[in-house]
Amino acid sequence: MSGAKKGGARRTGGSLRGDLAMLRKNRDLRGRAMTPRGYPTASGSTGGYGSGDEDTTTFPTAWARTPAAGAVRNILQRGVLKPYAWAKTRPTIEGLDLLEGLRGPAVFVANHSSHLDTPLILGALPRRISDRTAVGAAADYFFTSKAVSVTTTLVFNAFPVDRYGRRRGGPSLPAQLVDDGWSLLLFPEGTRSHDGWMTAFKRGAARLCLSMGVPAVPIAVRGTFAAMPRGASLPTRNATRLVVRFGRPLYPGKEEGTAEFQARMLKQVAALWAEEDLGWYQSLRAAEEGKLHLPEGREPALPVTRTPVERGRPVADWRKVWESTRPSGPDGNPRVWRN
Amino acid sequence: MSRPGFVLEVDERTPPLLVHEGENFRLERLPHGSRVIYPPDSLPGIKDLDGAIRRALLNPHGMDPLPELLTPGMRLTIVFDDLSLPLPSMRSPDVRQRIIEQVLEFAAAKGVDDVELIAANALHRRMTPAELKHIVGERVFRSFFPKHLTNHDAEDRENLVHLGNTHEGEDVEINRRAAESDLVVYVNITSTAMSGGPKSVAVGLASYRSLRHHHNVHTLQHSRSFNDPPNSAMHHSYHRMADLLGGHVKIFTIETTLNNDTFPSAARFLNKREWEWNYADQATYLATRRGNGLLKPAMRRRLWHKTEAPYGVTGVHAGAPSEVHPLTLKNVHRQQLTEVDGQADVAVYGLPYIGPYNVNSVMNPILVMSLGLGYFFNLYVNKPIVREGGVAIFYHPMPNEFHPVHHPSYIDFYEEILAETTDPAVIEAKYEKQFATDPWYTHLYRKSYAYHGVHPFYMWYWGAHAMQHLGEVIFVGADRKTAARLGFRAASTLNDALELASHTVGTSPSITYQHMPPLTLASVR
Repeated sequence: MSGAKKGGARRTGGSLRGDLAMLRKNRDLRGRAMTPRGYPTASGSTGGYGSGDEDTTTFPTAWARTPAAGAVRNILQRGVLKPYAWAKTRPTIEGLDLLEGLRGPAVFVANHSSHLDTPLILGALPRRISDRTAVGAAADYFFTSKAVSVTTTLVFNAFPVDRYGRRRGGPSLPAQLVDDGWSLLLFPEGTRSHDGWMTAFKRGAARLCLSMGVPAVPIAVRGTFAAMPRGASLPTRNATRLVVRFGRPLYPGKEEGTAEFQARMLKQVAALWAEEDLGWYQSLRAAEEGKLHLPEGREPALPVTRTPVERGRPVADWRKVWESTRPSGPDGNPRVWRN
Repeated sequence: MSRPGFVLEVDERTPPLLVHEGENFRLERLPHGSRVIYPPDSLPGIKDLDGAIRRALLNPHGMDPLPELLTPGMRLTIVFDDLSLPLPSMRSPDVRQRIIEQVLEFAAAKGVDDVELIAANALHRRMTPAELKHIVGERVFRSFFPKHLTNHDAEDRENLVHLGNTHEGEDVEINRRAAESDLVVYVNITSTAMSGGPKSVAVGLASYRSLRHHHNVHTLQHSRSFNDPPNSAMHHSYHRMADLLGGHVKIFTIETTLNNDTFPSAARFLNKREWEWNYADQATYLATRRGNGLLKPAMRRRLWHKTEAPYGVTGVHAGAPSEVHPLTLKNVHRQQLTEVDGQADVAVYGLPYIGPYNVNSVMNPILVMSLGLGYFFNLYVNKPIVREGGVAIFYHPMPNEFHPVHHPSYIDFYEEILAETTDPAVIEAKYEKQFATDPWYTHLYRKSYAYHGVHPFYMWYWGAHAMQHLGEVIFVGADRKTAARLGFRAASTLNDALELASHTVGTSPSITYQHMPPLTLASVR
């Protein structure tokens, strides 16, 4: 086979650097791309990695809750992860005294803006609790490849959570875990914040607490967005104070419905969140007086900021990021009372 | 369950998308808001294929079971689609082999001695013995080749028979052996909605005298599209011919459809959506692309043409052609059809290394045109994906390169005719007859492995509807001189192409990219 003309004998392809740049475009360090918003998933929602259609919720995780895996995890968490995270971010931990009376399983619910949130919360918790805590991780993100699934499961005692709420047969794994005496760490926002501002909670965590009769422990994490936002692979030290603040356990009332309990959970997390700006007492008062701007639907919470924000008026994306990365005051100390 | 086809709107999350460009491919960043048409996921193949074939032969539609049609002393002719289907070639055993073997088992059991196998290659080049063997399998090949396993010869006057004219005056002239057989068993693969049905015998076994009635500029300009048979003048002509044929020849057809497993697992990324690529897919993409760039063109081409697809078979239907084909079309639509809302100002297509007429051969510039403006542009039902007067952007290097054995008349068509005019109607009126009856081209078609002298004309007509519909045609990455000879414009990048297109469709055009292969049939509302 030979060409009558030699015009086609040129080589194809651009530079290797160009090819690599194209491959990396819109992919994270693990080479994964977000599902485009326009892609219709089976649940009608969009937003995860990969197709969102494959069943990633069935990855077996029971092995990670064995004593042997627990021992390995303890070494990894306490010997590697915590020293590194603490050295890099110097977090302030508050409210641990409120957990002293906590016995038995509980569901820890926190706002979520960084991969740093999980190691900080687990590192902050007393060992008697953290050793018995499993972490809900997005099935379509952490359980799409075997290597990552195994690592996530081992290091964080993670289990897959279907954040799009698709119904599948069989008993719920989180309920089984609570039944077996495990506490859970869940992020009811369902995904990391894009701008550091808190968004509305999904109802799964509230429903679980009600059905299992276990308390929810609100946690607010501030400053992780500045330290390690989406797209960053390692934390960086910066001038924004990083605080993990635990709240008082919330016990579901006998007559309380899912929506009410979820609202209470959200309000408590928002109050803890605002405590960083208002101080403890003012945030309590703001919560009691209904002055906290709680996130609704797709509208984020409106934190107290140094620049004005108004309910019902959209805030520019850059301003949200601006506020979330604002350096802390010169003293660097938490403010208990507002001046 | 396989996921349905869909239209993606490119947003800030969308990773660069794969675009074929001949033997290579690239990742391309389409402007935000562009739409991308994806086909349904590959359907699962039939697990017990031999069982399905047997059931189809024993329970045909509109005819008696095959064994009851077979009698000792009868003349049985088995006709099968040639190597232009499927694309790429199917990994052995080809489904045609599996069907032919079962038909022959029945024929042997019934004591049928007079059996001939004919490849329905019409005016395509003859298949080599190796290519025939790949399709029918070693056992059939050994039993029948060379005397009773042959390529159809559309220029063998003694072995053609004129069966009459349709009411529109169209000549129906086909292979004599088939016409005089007691039973013709046609073994088909329907890769696209244009294939199969009335086309099989009326085209595959026909002569130039017959084919010129539907392979002409007027018919093709009124076939909108030829993948939408009810709206295709070409198919109307096929039907008229098939009706006439039905009065003379008893045809038992077996039609099959394939899924979208177009590439082997080594090139799995080509079958996946870009945001689902894992590291292995990305590494394979990079290695394949870089490897492609390092290989010499001849080696690269050989490598790609050796690639065989692990297709699954999604349907086997047998019986009377008119009853079987609607079932086949349903299966094709199930695998390929994607609903699209509205037309765009600009359509984008990536053209791969293979088309129906360059299997184990070179895709010359005329075949590039035919693949783009003919085959890909016409992969729609209802309306084209691009509005009338819009712009089509194709990706292909379009080298000025021809296979001298397979495409001799193409070289002269390119050098002599396209230098004069690119208007299909003028070309048809002025030059077709000369090429179609040229004794040297006829000799090469019959004795060598050349496409018929008229074949490049048909390829040019294939694009006539698109040429009429479009305001501008731009080839990204194409050889500029070659593109200019064909009457098209060349651009280095998509941005350059959009800049060129802005003179026709403005600076903010709507863009639709039909993501292929695997094949996607756009149903445009």
